[in-house]
Amino acid sequence: MALPQTDRPRLPVFSARNISYQFYRLRNRPELILGVLCLAVLGLLVLVPLFEIIHDSLTYQSYDKAYRPDAEVGGFTLFHLERVFTGPLSYALLIKPLLNSIGIGFFVTAIGVSVGAGLAWLLVRTNIHFKGTFGALIVIPYMMPSWVLALAWLSLFKNDRIGGTEGMFTSLFGVQPPDWVSYGFLPIVICLALHYYVYGYLLMSGALATVDSELEEAGAICGMNRRQRLWRITVPLLMPALGSAIVLTFIRILGTFGTPALLGLPVRFFTFSTQIYASLNARNSGDAYVLALVLIVMAITFIWINSRIIGIRKSFVTLTGKGFRQNEIGLGMWRWPATIGVSIFVVITVFMPMLILLWESLIITPGEYTFEGLTAHFWFGESDPDIAYGEPGIIHSPGILTALWNSIKLGVSAAVVNGFVGLMIGYAAVRGRGSLLSKWLEGVAFAPYIFPSIALGAIYIGMFSTPFGPIPALYGTFAILLLITVVKNLPFTSRTGIAAMLQIDKSLEETARVQGIGWFRRMVQIIIPMSTSGLISGMLLTFITTMRELSLIILLLSPTNMVLTGLIFNYNEQDMTQHSGAVTLLLVMVIIGMNLVVRVLSGGKGLSGLKSG
Amino acid sequence: MNIRFSRLAATLAVGAVAISGFTALQTQAAMKPSAEMEAWLKTAKLGVYNKDENWAEVVANAKREGEVVVYTSSGRIAKLVQPFNALYPEIKLTVHDLGSVKSVEKTIREQDASIFNADIVTTGNSGQVIHGMVNKNYLVNYVPQAYRDRIPEESREPLLVRVNEAMVIFYNTEAYPSAAPIKNLWELTEAKYEGRVGMKNPMSSGSTFMGVMTLIQNHEEMAAAYQRYAGKPIKLGEGITNAGQEFWARMLANDLVIFKSGSKLAGASGKKGQKKPLIAFANMTYIARNESKGYVNKILADVDPVAKLVYPTFTAIARQAPHPNAAKLFTAYLLGSTNLSKASDIKKPYMKGTSLDLLQGLAPYYDPGSVSPRDDVPLPAGGEIWAAMKGWNVDPDFMWNEGPKMRDFWTVHSSK
Repeated sequence: MALPQTDRPRLPVFSARNISYQFYRLRNRPELILGVLCLAVLGLLVLVPLFEIIHDSLTYQSYDKAYRPDAEVGGFTLFHLERVFTGPLSYALLIKPLLNSIGIGFFVTAIGVSVGAGLAWLLVRTNIHFKGTFGALIVIPYMMPSWVLALAWLSLFKNDRIGGTEGMFTSLFGVQPPDWVSYGFLPIVICLALHYYVYGYLLMSGALATVDSELEEAGAICGMNRRQRLWRITVPLLMPALGSAIVLTFIRILGTFGTPALLGLPVRFFTFSTQIYASLNARNSGDAYVLALVLIVMAITFIWINSRIIGIRKSFVTLTGKGFRQNEIGLGMWRWPATIGVSIFVVITVFMPMLILLWESLIITPGEYTFEGLTAHFWFGESDPDIAYGEPGIIHSPGILTALWNSIKLGVSAAVVNGFVGLMIGYAAVRGRGSLLSKWLEGVAFAPYIFPSIALGAIYIGMFSTPFGPIPALYGTFAILLLITVVKNLPFTSRTGIAAMLQIDKSLEETARVQGIGWFRRMVQIIIPMSTSGLISGMLLTFITTMRELSLIILLLSPTNMVLTGLIFNYNEQDMTQHSGAVTLLLVMVIIGMNLVVRVLSGGKGLSGLKSG
Repeated sequence: MNIRFSRLAATLAVGAVAISGFTALQTQAAMKPSAEMEAWLKTAKLGVYNKDENWAEVVANAKREGEVVVYTSSGRIAKLVQPFNALYPEIKLTVHDLGSVKSVEKTIREQDASIFNADIVTTGNSGQVIHGMVNKNYLVNYVPQAYRDRIPEESREPLLVRVNEAMVIFYNTEAYPSAAPIKNLWELTEAKYEGRVGMKNPMSSGSTFMGVMTLIQNHEEMAAAYQRYAGKPIKLGEGITNAGQEFWARMLANDLVIFKSGSKLAGASGKKGQKKPLIAFANMTYIARNESKGYVNKILADVDPVAKLVYPTFTAIARQAPHPNAAKLFTAYLLGSTNLSKASDIKKPYMKGTSLDLLQGLAPYYDPGSVSPRDDVPLPAGGEIWAAMKGWNVDPDFMWNEGPKMRDFWTVHSSK
C-alpha cells in the first residue's frame, strides 16, 4: 500500500490544502486510524492494571506494617524488590519456584508441541483413517478444566503418603508407586502436556493446511530429496506457527495453577504461580505483584525473542488468491498402526477423564471409585437430608438454569466481541507491520495473557466502580464481566486475527482499491470472508475459555450473574465432589455441543481452522 | 530495542507515580468515620447510636427493606436460605459463598471503591478481619441486645463471634486401638512419624495458619512441654527464636505432608483398612465424617501442652450496608432463637421441625467441633469433649503483627 515516495510540494502546515492533503493521506491508511484507536482503548484496559501492579510493588502496603511499623502505607519503597530478589526469602520465594516452573514449562512445551505437531501432521497431511472423528475428539481435552487430568492421575497413582483410599495401581498390583511417580515434577509435566498439546495441534494443523503442495513439488523438480524438501520448504513455512505454539504453551504453563497445586503440594513442590497465589491469598500484594512482574518480564522477553527469530522474515503469505492444492501423503504399512496409536491417545486424554468425571458424579462416597452402589442422586435426586446435607441433584438446584444461561450468554457475547476486536487488531498490526504502532499494539494486546487472573479481577473492581473516563460505572453489571473476559482473551484473538491477516496477501486488497472500493466494503467483502475460518476458530476458543473461566470473574460476580464455574467452585468449597463432578461434566457437554453446532454450521471448520501468527 | 524498552519503562514509572499519589490520599481519608458513614450509623441505629433496641421495629424495618446480602467464608450459610425465607418470606436472603480469602478481598475492594453491596460479612482470620476491616471502619460490630447477656464479652468485643471452631489432632483407631499414639506434641517430631503427619496448607487455609500461630504465641508453654518430653531444655536451630517456631521447623524437617483439602485430610487419617494411616492436624468439625462416611477418626483429647487450637468465625455488618435492619435480623438468626436454652431438646435432623425453629442459624453448625459463643446452647451429641480439651486462642494483634513474618518462616522452611 505504501506507494513510492515522490517529490511533493512543501505546503504550509496549517493551510487548507495541507490539512486536506493530510486528511487524504490518513484516509488511505485505515490501519493507522484503527491502530491508534485500538491502542488507546487497550492502553486504558490493560496498562492501567499494569500501572497498578507496578505501583503496588513499589509502595508500602498495609500488610508490610508488620515488618516496618513506621512505614506509611502508600509511600515509595524498594522493600518488596529487596525481599524477592536479595533477601533471605529469595531462594524459597523466587529462585526455586522459578526453576521449577521453567523446568516444567520446558518439558511440557517440548512434549506438548511435538505431540501436537505430530498429530497435526498425521491428521492434515497423511491418509490416516477416521480423520474427521479424530479431528473432533483431539481438541476435547482443551474443553475440560485442566485439573481433571490431575485428579485422574491421583486416583490412579497415589500412594500411601497422602493416605485415604488406595490408588488404583496399588490396589491392582499391591505395590506403592514411589513419590516421584505419584506427585511433583513428573506427573505435573505429563498431565499438563496431555492438556496443552492442543495449542500445538491447533496452530500447526492450521498452518499445515495452508502449505501448498506445489511448493514442495517445485522443490522436488529442482532435485531436492524428501528430507531437503521437509527442512528447506515445509518447516520454514511452519516456523511462525511453531513459534506461536511454543510461546503460547510455555507462557501459559508458567502461569498455570490448578495442576501444580494439586500434584505438587503433597511433596512441597512449589511453582511460580503457586507462590503468587499464596502471596495474594495473604493479601500480600507487594510480593505477589513483584513476582507477577517477573512473570510478565519473562513473557515479554520470550515473545521478543520469538518475534526476532520469526517476525522479521517478511512473508508467510499462503493465501494469495492463486491456485492451491494439497496432496495426501500415504503412510503405507504404517497406516493402521498410526490409526491405532492415535486411538489409544484419544482414549487416554479424552474418554478416561470424562469417564472419571462421570464416575465421580455417581459414587456415594467421594474418592472411592467402586462400582457398588452407584447412584444418579447427584444428578436427578430430590433433596434427602441424609445425603450431602440435603442438597438435591443438580437438575433440581435452583440456580443451575440461570447459571447455565449466564455462562452461555457470557461465552457467546465474549466470542463475538473478541472475534471482531481481534480482527481489527490483526488488520492494524499486519498492515502497519514494521511500524512502532504495530509492535506496541501487538505487545499490549498480548499483555493480559500474563496477568494473574484474580489480580486483574481485583483491580477491575476499583477501576470500574465509578465512571472511568467515558465509561460509566460498570460494577455489578453484565458489561464488566464481558469487558474483563474480552480483555483476558485478547491475546488469543489478536493472535488469530494477526495470523489470519498475515495469510491474506495485500495484493487482494490492492486490487479492490484500484477499482475504487472503499475500506468498509473491502473489509466486509474481502477480508472478513477470507479470514472466516481463523475467525470462527478464534471465537470458539474464546467461548471455551470463557465457559471454563472462574478466578478472573469471581470477585465481580453477583448472584444474578452466577455462572456454571461459580457453581462448581461452591460445590468444591462445600466438598460436594459428586455435584461438582456432575456440573463439570455438564459444562464440558455444553462446550462440546457448541463446538459441534459451530462445526456443522460452518461446514466442518470448528476449532481446527485455527491458524498461526 | 533498548531505547524503546527504556521509554516504555519511563512511561510506566510516570503512571505508577501518578497512581501512587492518588491512593495515598485515599488511604488517609479512610481512618476516621466519614460524615457519610456517621449519617448512616445514625439512621441505621448502629455503633454508638445502637441504644434501647426496639426489636419489633427492627423486624418491621427489615421486612420493609426486603433483602439481606451476605458475604461468607462458610458454605454452610447457604443452607439457611430456605429456612430463613420460610420464616421471613418478605426478606430475600442472598448468600455469596466466597471462601475466606475472597470474602475479605471482595469486601475491602468494594469498600475502597465506595460500593456498598454487602450487608453482612461473616468470615474467619482474626488478624485481617479486626485490623484490615474493623479498624478501618469497613465493618461495624453489632450484637443484638437480647443476646448480650448470653455471650461472654470476649466473644462480642471487638467483634461478635458467630461460631468457634478448632484445629485438633485426629488419629485412626484401627491403627491405634488401645491408646492414643502420642502424649506430647513433640513426639510428632520423631523419626517414627517422618512423612506420617498431615496438615492443610497454612499458606492457603486461614484456620490452619491460625493454628500454626497459636503454638508460636504460646511458645513458652511449648518450651516447657519440651522439657517434660525430653527431660532437658530445648536447643533452638539457627535463626529460630522460640520453641513454637522450632516445633514447626522440626515438623517440616520431619516431612510434614501438606494437603489442599480438609476432607481429604480427614480421610487420610480416618479411612478404614489403611496400613499406615496419617496423623492429622484437622478441623475438628470433620469428626462428623465418622458418622457420614464411616471414618474411624478419634480426637486426641489429652495431649501435652494443648489439645485444641481455637479459631473464631466473626460476623459483622458492612459499612453503609443497604439493608441494615435486615442485617440485624439475620445476625440474630445466625445466633439461634432466643427461645433456645440449655434445657431445649434438640433432635436430628437439625435442619427440620422444632430443632430448626430453635437452632435457626446454628443448625448447620450443630456438631462437637463447632461451638456457639452463647452460654445457653445445649451440647450436641458428643459435645462434652470440647470443654474437656485444653485449648488455646490466638490474639488478633499477634496474628496481624507476627503473621507475615511467620509466613516467611514457613515459606523458607518448607522449601528446604
